[in-house]
Amino acid sequence: MLVLEGVYKYFSSSGTDRLVLENINLRVKSGEFVCLVGPSGCGKSTLLSIIAGLEKADRGRVYKDGKEITAAGPDRVVMFQEAALFPWLKVIENVEYGLKIAGIPKEVRREKALRYLKMVHLSRFADSYPHQLSGGMRQRVALARALAVDSDVLLMDEPFAALDAQTRYLLHRQLQEIWQVTGKTIVFVTHSVEEAVLLADRVVVMAANPGRIKKQFAIQLSRPRHLKNVDLAFLAGEILRELEEEVAKVARAEYDGEWSPEEDVFLPAPNSNMGDGI
Amino acid sequence: MWPEYLFPSPSGVFRSLGEGIKDGSLLLAAAVSMQRVITGFLISLAGGILLGVALVRIRFLEECFGPLLLGLQTLPSICWLPLAVLWFGMGEKAILFVVAAGSLFSIAISFVSGVKNISPLYRWVAKTMGASGWQMFTTVIFPAALPSFVAGMKQGWSFAWRALLAGELLSPQSGLGYVLVMGRDLHDMNLVVAVMVVIILLGLAVEKLFFARVEASLRSRWGLDRA
Ligand SMILES: Nc1ncnc2c1ncn2[C@@H]1O[C@H](COP(=O)(O)OP(=O)(O)OP(=O)(O)O)[C@@H](O)[C@H]1O
Ligand SMILES: [Mg+2]
Repeated sequence: MLVLEGVYKYFSSSGTDRLVLENINLRVKSGEFVCLVGPSGCGKSTLLSIIAGLEKADRGRVYKDGKEITAAGPDRVVMFQEAALFPWLKVIENVEYGLKIAGIPKEVRREKALRYLKMVHLSRFADSYPHQLSGGMRQRVALARALAVDSDVLLMDEPFAALDAQTRYLLHRQLQEIWQVTGKTIVFVTHSVEEAVLLADRVVVMAANPGRIKKQFAIQLSRPRHLKNVDLAFLAGEILRELEEEVAKVARAEYDGEWSPEEDVFLPAPNSNMGDGI
Repeated sequence: MWPEYLFPSPSGVFRSLGEGIKDGSLLLAAAVSMQRVITGFLISLAGGILLGVALVRIRFLEECFGPLLLGLQTLPSICWLPLAVLWFGMGEKAILFVVAAGSLFSIAISFVSGVKNISPLYRWVAKTMGASGWQMFTTVIFPAALPSFVAGMKQGWSFAWRALLAGELLSPQSGLGYVLVMGRDLHDMNLVVAVMVVIILLGLAVEKLFFARVEASLRSRWGLDRA
């Protein structure tokens, strides 16, 4: 069980403190799959880092199974928004990394790493270096690396954003399978409401400036789920409405005063020579 | 036109080179110098890494000695010579000391700046996977800092090479610096230039054959060379 109690986070930029997270209260039951959605910049990644123990909350507390979280640890593995593979290690060594740190013997960890690499359909690239892979492939390696550790809690920051629809679909299936088998607790950040309703037990919609929890939706529908399902589509519509309201607010706040569509919407092409020769 | 002892001629330099190689005197001097510079460089490498690790791990040290280090790096290596002679006497140890002192600080500095430029994301990944302390150092910090550290080592090497000549010029018993001094004393400018040629060739050879290769293989492994 993850418990966040009254979490506040400030970031100081050029001398002034800016409130990024305001009074976040959240409980995630063991084995629950929670999706976070919210406008860009509302603090989703920051919230994930606080749960991971990589950032400190300026106020409030975070507990896992009753113990306060003070530092990062292998019971809460993070899959970051960027793949962040180690460029000096081969793909297979990257997947093995967490197992190596845990002190698991070479053969055992190699076998396990290969299994996860197969799962993300990249076993052919085991001996390549990360820079030889495409962005989506790197993201899949990062997924394999995160899963190989067998943590109780998995924190995922837009893990599938860079993937094509087919691969994403496959990985959704596999992630759900792993989640059901292992009973992991998963906190999953996404921009896609469809992805959220497909995967989650609960969708948390965040508001921006400062980042806070706006509304939560329980998704009590049987699995496997399909987007065409009427109930699912209905819920997705509801969530999307909440989310779009927030996105629109952010957009308005940003454009107010410094952007007038009439003047700036036309960007002259650098090679345009309209009327030059008159 | 000009006296030979003021301006050497290309043919004269070639002659000196040929003679020095044939009777082995130049080769022997080069071998002695190489041995010294490599020993001194290895000492400064070990010392520089130790110093760098200490500076990175103990913030207090960095705050106190960071700027001092920068100053020491710009100090011409010849300035260490009086100290070296005082501590070690005129001899092999003094020369090694000057070589090591000449490259130590640039190596330590490049190590520290290499570590500082590591993307915090790598450290975060390692932390959430449970790495800390020494394990973090060997599995992430050191390999991540390696490309920029190799560049620093290359610079350290050229500092070491210069320091060696400074040391050998002032307390000469053998080596290229000694031959250089001998050439001056005998007014044999051809020999002096021949030694300069050897110094340039050796410096370039080590840089191109060793450091440039290590650097290139690292960069291609990391994928840093893709346009
Ligand atoms: N290290 C930092 N220093 C200063 N400000 C930061 C830092 N990290 C994040 N911020 C600010 O905190 C806010 C939240 O950032 P965060 O990355 O958590 O957003 P997000 O919800 O994950 O956005 P996105 O959906 O675009 O990934 C942003 O406005 C950002 O400018
Ligand atoms: Mg983010």
